[in-house]
Amino acid sequence: MKFAFNVSLKNIRRRPFRSAALGALVMLLTICLFLGAEVILSLQGGLDAYRSRLGADVIVTPSSASAHGSVDDIFLQGITGNYYMSEKDIKKAADTDGVQSISRQFYLTSAKAGCCSARVQIIGFEPETDFSVLPWIKESYSGEIRNGDIVVGSEISVPSDRQIKFYGKKYNVAAILGKTGTGLDNAVFTGYDTIKEMARSAADIISRKEFSGVNIDNTASALLIRVKDGYDPQTVADDINIHITKVQAKASKSMISGLSDGLSGISGIIAVLVGAVWVFCFIIMLMVFALLSNERKKEFAVFRIIGASGKMLTAVMAGETAVLCLAGSAAGLLVSVPLCFPLSDMIHSSLSLPLLMPDGAVLAALCAGAAVIPLITGVLISLASAVRITKAETGLLLREGA
Amino acid sequence: MKLRAEGISRNFFRKGKNTNFFTAVEKTDFELEQGCLTEITGHSGSGKTTFSNMLCGLLTPDSGRVFLGDQSLYELDDRKRSYLRNRYIGIIPQGQTGLHGLTVLENVMLQAEMYGSTPDAREKAVSLLEAAGIGELCEVYSNELSGGELRRMVIARAMMNDPPILIADEPTGDLDSETTALILELFRKYADSGNAVLMVTHEKEALCHADRIFCMEKGILSSVPKK
Repeated sequence: MKFAFNVSLKNIRRRPFRSAALGALVMLLTICLFLGAEVILSLQGGLDAYRSRLGADVIVTPSSASAHGSVDDIFLQGITGNYYMSEKDIKKAADTDGVQSISRQFYLTSAKAGCCSARVQIIGFEPETDFSVLPWIKESYSGEIRNGDIVVGSEISVPSDRQIKFYGKKYNVAAILGKTGTGLDNAVFTGYDTIKEMARSAADIISRKEFSGVNIDNTASALLIRVKDGYDPQTVADDINIHITKVQAKASKSMISGLSDGLSGISGIIAVLVGAVWVFCFIIMLMVFALLSNERKKEFAVFRIIGASGKMLTAVMAGETAVLCLAGSAAGLLVSVPLCFPLSDMIHSSLSLPLLMPDGAVLAALCAGAAVIPLITGVLISLASAVRITKAETGLLLREGA
Repeated sequence: MKLRAEGISRNFFRKGKNTNFFTAVEKTDFELEQGCLTEITGHSGSGKTTFSNMLCGLLTPDSGRVFLGDQSLYELDDRKRSYLRNRYIGIIPQGQTGLHGLTVLENVMLQAEMYGSTPDAREKAVSLLEAAGIGELCEVYSNELSGGELRRMVIARAMMNDPPILIADEPTGDLDSETTALILELFRKYADSGNAVLMVTHEKEALCHADRIFCMEKGILSSVPKK
């Protein structure tokens, strides 16, 4: 088969325009496959990050939180503010029928002043009851979050001394979280004791009116609830809304379902577009190879005349296609891999959709898939042409190609 | 090695008034003799090319058999038949049949390298091209050659494996008299060295070089006495 490979390479070199045109077609197919799949997986990753961020069946926030955004925005985009619910309401919510466990979160917005390194959302959680933030932190940091430690989102810039100042005091950055593609990448997380300390400093330093009448030790900005088996989260949320007037409860499933539907729709459209371009490229490849094999009938007949068997001729044709497809795929990946980063950012900023790019291993698998699919397609098409050519009688082929 | 045809014939589909096929070659017996330059002459469309293609293993006869030695060519599988064609039958087809992706030297060497390389293939190819008068064109691509040069390259390619049988279809068509004379001389020498050469032509000039002459008329092959 060395003979076939050598002849294939020589044919490619000797026909630069034809080779470049076929390579460009494969390149287009690779770009389309890679970028399409990457965007779909990024959207899916964003949705999964949302899901894992929620963790809870029901979310409860004070009614005053609605001034800062919907419950969806607060939890999914990390849009927080300084709003707090009373100890009495927290207890009532915890005592609602169907509630299995409850975890409090405390929100605080840092000030854009000399007392703070940056204006960010700070989220305090209870490590002993939390089932929403800790699993996510554990992906990046396995150590204990001690008093005075903070964990920051991936977009927060961390100084070299790993100290960030909030309300006049420096806090140690214990870990930097993995990217979620959401507003939470700009948030800071810490334990409940630490955030209470921050809140007291905030009340002292800038005399925030939000803290007036709030018992910092026993309050919460949000409650994350898990319901008992056999209970419908929506029913529990409705129950809380009916019986506690100063809070708003929402079942997390309903929060994510709209987004999930939207993302599924967009993913579906992208998949259809990728499929359409793929089918289009496939048809063009089919036509090009059919035309080429027709145009090259005489050349193939000459191979047969000098003694090439059907298998040898097939190897020459498939080898030529394989080399072109590999070259085209490599060029396609060289173009599309660097493109996928700005493209994700563009989709994220222009459509405000959660995007979480696949990790390196998945991207590598995507690269392999985007290279292998056009290769297999091209080789299969050329094999079909080869079968047609080798089945024809050489004497007739020579006459047709004359 | 002998090439022998037993009752070979070939029809082609062609819509006509009374029938949907025409007979290109009627049932024919034929044998190529070693050390002999055989010519088949006849008008265009008389069936000469169809007949030579059937002898080479390039066109399956509708009836009869072709034997290369004692092997019935069309009863062999494709791989074996292709191998025998490569090793034992040098074919010079009608028209220009250079592989344009290859240089002149590569075109000629391809015949030898197809089933494993031979150590002296390069020297052999160069000497054949020199004998054909185009030794200086070794590194030129075949599409850069003139018609006469291309024909000589194909002849060199056909002789590359020293096949005992050489079949040439109109090898001197549309060539000038000087090139024609050179090619005929090459065939003569090849036959004189003990090989069987079959030349299909309608050129009268070629007839004087032949040992045996046949005429094909409407698919019927008949022997012509040499004058």
